[in-house]
Amino acid sequence: MYKKLFALLSILVMASLTLTACGGAATPAPATPEVIEKTVIQTQIVEVTPLPGPNPEAVIQNVEDGAEITLWTFWLSPTFDEYIKSTIARFNEAYPGVTVNWEDHQATFQDDLKNAFAAGNAPDVINLSISEGWVSDYATQGLLLPLDDVVPQDVKDVYFPNLWDQQVVNNAHYQFPWYQGIIVNLVNTKILTDAGLTVDNFPKKIEELPAFCQTIKDKTGTLCDIRLSVNDLLAQMTYEGGVKVISEDGKAFTFDSPEAAAWLQMYVDMVNAGTVDKTALVTDQDRVGLDLFTSGQAAFYNTGPNLIREVRANNPALYGYLGVVPAPVGKSGVVGKGLMALSVKADTKYPNASLALAQFFSNPKSMLEFSKIVAIYPSTPASYDDPFFSMAPVAIEDSAKPYAKDAVSKLADILPTVPHKAEVNEIVLQAVQQALFNGVDPQKALSDAVTQANALLP
Amino acid sequence: MNKKTSLTPYLFLMPALIVIAVFVLYPIGAVVYYSFTQYNIVTPPVWVGLRNYQQLLHDTVFWQALKHSFIYLLVTPILICLSILLAIVVNRKIPGISAFRALYFVPVVSGSIAVGIAWRLMWDRNGLINGLLLSANMIKEPVQWLAEPAYTLPIAMALTVWLGLGYYMMIFLAGLQNIPEELYDAALIDGCNSWQKHWYVSVPGLRPQIAFVAVISSLAALQVFNEIFTLTGGLGGILNSGVTMVFYLWRKAFRLNQAGMASAIAMILLAITLIFSILNMRLLERGTEQE
Repeated sequence: MYKKLFALLSILVMASLTLTACGGAATPAPATPEVIEKTVIQTQIVEVTPLPGPNPEAVIQNVEDGAEITLWTFWLSPTFDEYIKSTIARFNEAYPGVTVNWEDHQATFQDDLKNAFAAGNAPDVINLSISEGWVSDYATQGLLLPLDDVVPQDVKDVYFPNLWDQQVVNNAHYQFPWYQGIIVNLVNTKILTDAGLTVDNFPKKIEELPAFCQTIKDKTGTLCDIRLSVNDLLAQMTYEGGVKVISEDGKAFTFDSPEAAAWLQMYVDMVNAGTVDKTALVTDQDRVGLDLFTSGQAAFYNTGPNLIREVRANNPALYGYLGVVPAPVGKSGVVGKGLMALSVKADTKYPNASLALAQFFSNPKSMLEFSKIVAIYPSTPASYDDPFFSMAPVAIEDSAKPYAKDAVSKLADILPTVPHKAEVNEIVLQAVQQALFNGVDPQKALSDAVTQANALLP
Repeated sequence: MNKKTSLTPYLFLMPALIVIAVFVLYPIGAVVYYSFTQYNIVTPPVWVGLRNYQQLLHDTVFWQALKHSFIYLLVTPILICLSILLAIVVNRKIPGISAFRALYFVPVVSGSIAVGIAWRLMWDRNGLINGLLLSANMIKEPVQWLAEPAYTLPIAMALTVWLGLGYYMMIFLAGLQNIPEELYDAALIDGCNSWQKHWYVSVPGLRPQIAFVAVISSLAALQVFNEIFTLTGGLGGILNSGVTMVFYLWRKAFRLNQAGMASAIAMILLAITLIFSILNMRLLERGTEQE
């Protein structure tokens, strides 16, 4: 018994000794605090999911969710398919939930549009020509949506005021100004050189044209490729001859004034002198005059720089001799009116979505992008702040770029609203032809036309 | 005949009748209605009674267009004579004649708009015609043919003849090949020369074809549009020198937005073509009866 007790105690003593030997001091000293200074560099990855903010291009409010609208453009496909589609894609980012169906119509645009209006399925957003007077034509028939009360002032201010104020009908605005053209004259410098002339000799005023054409004919035998606006001679005599076509009260036509007779006499003199191509002079189709120039048979042609691509494609040899000069100015002092507009049909089911699309296509960014792919010019001053417009022109297509902003800011529609415009223009066309080709005195031809036109007025 | 049997033929006729009703009868009815209205296509028509017809009676361009359309009918006898001559020429069994026949047929299968533009270029100031005349010293300086009112209609008519010649030649060729050879042999025995052989055998033998060509070519001449439009650049010729009924109809409807007035012109044109068709059909029937 004692042996067992002794062995147990021995083990305990041995164990305690062993533990004591392994341990520290039997009485621990108080701990001294140690200050360590270290620079800790810590990289923290923070994932932030921002809330959707307003798209700066979405400037029209209350766009109808789920709207499905149709856009008709005039002669833009297939050349500009990519641009139109990408702009619609951007529009969908700015205004999600709106479906845009795009159609391009070409030579039959007007017929298609009239039929669509008659059938009640006209497009919501329509590309209308300012230069052909389509906006006022459709607006006077109550087919377009007036913009004055539905477009915010800051959106209206995006456009050149002179362009916004075009084709105003009964003090109402009906169009977002879209792409613009600068009217220039394409010049065949080879013919000019043969005639002993340079582009610097090109007429600055309309009344200088007869003498210029006479020189070209005498020296080269080439006739001038000048085209009358046979569908809108009232506009042409207004711009070129400074003619007032209708009285202030709109109760009588006045296009038989001495100014009008002088304007017509200028063309009669050119026809009698045999200095103009008569076929081109009275053609309905711009293409006839352009083809004549493109085939190298004319010294100059009045058109837009965007059509230089036609010359380059169809007659590369002429492209090398091409010059571009500003169009001569008429007695009105205004070179011309705007080119294209976007309007919304009056009875659209989705007015806000339609307004949004029309505005989007004509906003500064869309306009700038369009200008970069073809020689058209924006209707929005802000677009011209881009370095693209301040760069020195490289190709002849770009030669109007440096003065484009100034030129576009001076475009104006100075033709007043004319009742029965198409019919009156037809009467004027017949009168002009009588003077040009049938020996009728210009004054008499125009006076007879005024009598006929006045009969149309109430 | 039971009910099922009596309905069957009408069911077979139904698809064609529906197509005719939608694409022929309804448009004709609509044009009749519009001719009594003032209608600009985009806004609803307004009933004006006979006003459009009254205005047309006093419209000098309308009478000019009517006159030009009747002048244009001259292409019919020209086409008949030239097509018969051409058919006689190509109705020979010589090597390669099929190629000639095909060649004469090429203008028929070419688009009239494309051909019209080609002709406009040909008659242009710097075109082929002036080039030939200048090189032959027949003119001293190029003529603007299409800008001269006196030439507009003849050039357009020449184009119509050129376009249709191959088609009508084929019709006469088929007719010639149906005339029995024995008749020519008999004519030779009777002492006919080559000219008399065709005058006394071929032409009488082609009477049904002549009547048929007279009907369709005169109707086509009354409805000419493409040639005028392309040659005159959409103007209708200087001083309306190339304006025909259909061109004037187009101008009223699509340039001046006077669809009501255009419909009235269409109705008058319909009446004229109906009279022509009836006269021609009578002629055709008489020719067949005589045979």
